[in-house]
Amino acid sequence: MLAQSDPIVGIQGLNKWFGALHVLNDIDLTVASGARVVVCGPSGSGKSTLIRCINGLESYQEGVLRLAGTTLGHKARETAAACRQTGMVFQSFNLFPHLTVLGNCTLALRRVAGKTRSEAEDIAMAHLEKVRIPEKARSYPGQLSGGQQQRVAIARALCLNPRIMLFDEPTSALDPEMIKEVLDVMVALARDGMTMVCVTHEMGFAREVADEVVFMDGGSILDRAPARDFFSASGHPRSRLFLETILRH
Amino acid sequence: MSLFDIWLGILKGVGTTAAVTAYGLLFAVPFALGFGVAQYLTVGVARLLVTAVIEFWRSSAVIILLFVFYYALPVFGISLSAWTVSAMVLGLNAGGYASQAVRAGLQALPSGQKEAGAALGLSRPAILFLIELPQALVAMSPTFVNTVIQLVKATALVSLVTLSDMTFRAKEIAQVEYNPVAIYTALLLAFFVVCYPIALAGRWLEARIAAPGSRAGGI
Amino acid sequence: MGFDPAFALSCVPTILSAIGTTLLVAAVSCFGAATIGFLFEMARRIGGIAGMASGFAIDFIRSTPVLIWLYFLYFVLPFYGIRLGSMTVGIMGLSLYYSGYLAEVFKAGIDAIPKGQPEAARALSLSRRDTVIYVIAPQMMRNIAAPLGNYFVSILKATPYLAVLAVPDMLGRAFDIASETYRYAEPLVVAGLIFLALALLISYGVKRLERRLLAGGTR
Repeated sequence: MLAQSDPIVGIQGLNKWFGALHVLNDIDLTVASGARVVVCGPSGSGKSTLIRCINGLESYQEGVLRLAGTTLGHKARETAAACRQTGMVFQSFNLFPHLTVLGNCTLALRRVAGKTRSEAEDIAMAHLEKVRIPEKARSYPGQLSGGQQQRVAIARALCLNPRIMLFDEPTSALDPEMIKEVLDVMVALARDGMTMVCVTHEMGFAREVADEVVFMDGGSILDRAPARDFFSASGHPRSRLFLETILRH
Repeated sequence: MSLFDIWLGILKGVGTTAAVTAYGLLFAVPFALGFGVAQYLTVGVARLLVTAVIEFWRSSAVIILLFVFYYALPVFGISLSAWTVSAMVLGLNAGGYASQAVRAGLQALPSGQKEAGAALGLSRPAILFLIELPQALVAMSPTFVNTVIQLVKATALVSLVTLSDMTFRAKEIAQVEYNPVAIYTALLLAFFVVCYPIALAGRWLEARIAAPGSRAGGI
Repeated sequence: MGFDPAFALSCVPTILSAIGTTLLVAAVSCFGAATIGFLFEMARRIGGIAGMASGFAIDFIRSTPVLIWLYFLYFVLPFYGIRLGSMTVGIMGLSLYYSGYLAEVFKAGIDAIPKGQPEAARALSLSRRDTVIYVIAPQMMRNIAAPLGNYFVSILKATPYLAVLAVPDMLGRAFDIASETYRYAEPLVVAGLIFLALALLISYGVKRLERRLLAGGTR
């Protein structure tokens, strides 16, 4: 078991290439238990690839990525066990269209955690209550709005009781009026003490909940600062420029 | 007979196969364009009639159509040569399939295209011929290539109504030489060397159309 | 001698009595084609030598006429001492021929599943096996239901080819009547109309199914 002070994620000298493209360049990042890290940067900066490395969706070529005490990519069984400690929310929701909301939430509980159907449904309903959408348990994803789907996706990821939640631009595919309902759920999750790494351009969210903001460009981390410093005038010039660009909208 | 002789004997029929295909295309292409566009443009009873004609040619079993027109037309006092019957039946059957590609290609165009044409003061026929069809034809060209392949393959049927195509030649050889493996393998290969290059060309066309930045522009 | 409607009507029971044979041949062939086609597609996905061989086999089958495949099996199998009933041979031929097309249906059905689906399954730590059973397969089934139904109609329309191998299907019965009475028009027209009606009926059912699947379309 890890001591509470040990970081959940420890990344040192991480490098990744897609063919000739150097998508992650010497990344160092530590995420302590209970920390809330927001990763931002222009598109193509490698931020999505970075968090997809954290739960093993992407492999890496150089460096060390330790997740929950295990170095990912060495031993398949241990890697899989460590990745089970993560929950992930995607930009495009990726709910399973042929399953109901409840079916989406209970699938991994039954197949991975070995729960019975009724145990799984109890757990799933509790999480659906948390994201305030229990009444849609029997609906199919296609019958829900984008905001509702994303809240279900969050509940689905929470069901396996992860120690860290990864968000990959969770509000980018949403209409403006639906962004708030998703952000509210994420803020509530942060208040509950969940460890979170969140790729997002929602700077209001970052200001409200982030302990630390990481700015990436061209596959490198250019700036890392506590949230209040990041938004003050003292930040890195490149991240200032980026902030000005997105805040103007 | 050597394998080579068998192959040569079968290829004697390639002219007939090619001729029936070409003759068939004379029926298929006008039918596909005419009825595809008509189905797109018409409404109500007119559309029902157009659809009925298309469905007759498309949904019937082509081998039965061939026999029906070969044996039944003379009963109605219409005598057509085996060539014409074959080309018409195979052509209109293929044309029926292709007409659906024409209609779907037209329907898939964003309605803004038609509206933009109207806003420029173009007449309806001008919009159809200058704006809609050119775009739709590009989009459906791979389907047309497939139709040609289907037509070539369907010509094997004309051997059943006395035309001496490749299949007919193969059966002739089979009567004097008991070597079914060589004969029918050669026949399969003969069709393969005709159809496969067409299929590859169709695939190339499809990839070109799908490629971003192609002249057709993201269809 | 003209077309005799009364005689045509009298042909209906005899021809219709073979509808069971036609439907059985179509259903078994469709099942066989789906099974072989699925194996082809799986082999193609595995890649390597098996994948290339499978891809070539699919292209080869699609470039050659169904009639030749029927002849091939009908004449070549006995050459090797394999004697099967003509209906069995016919079903084998249709299964083999349409497997080339159904392989493409499976390919499209799998390719249409967004990349995010297996990713989400991995993010939930589902095993590969569970991902296939609970995430990929159900979505693939929904994607292929309508095309599979359409190919069933195609196979149904190809069953009269088996009359060429002397299988007593509906077209075979029509030819029986024709050779007894020397009247070809009436039995052939009746057989053609029955096939057309069957094809339209099943196509309509498939379209309804497709619409229902799209309405439940939950993405």
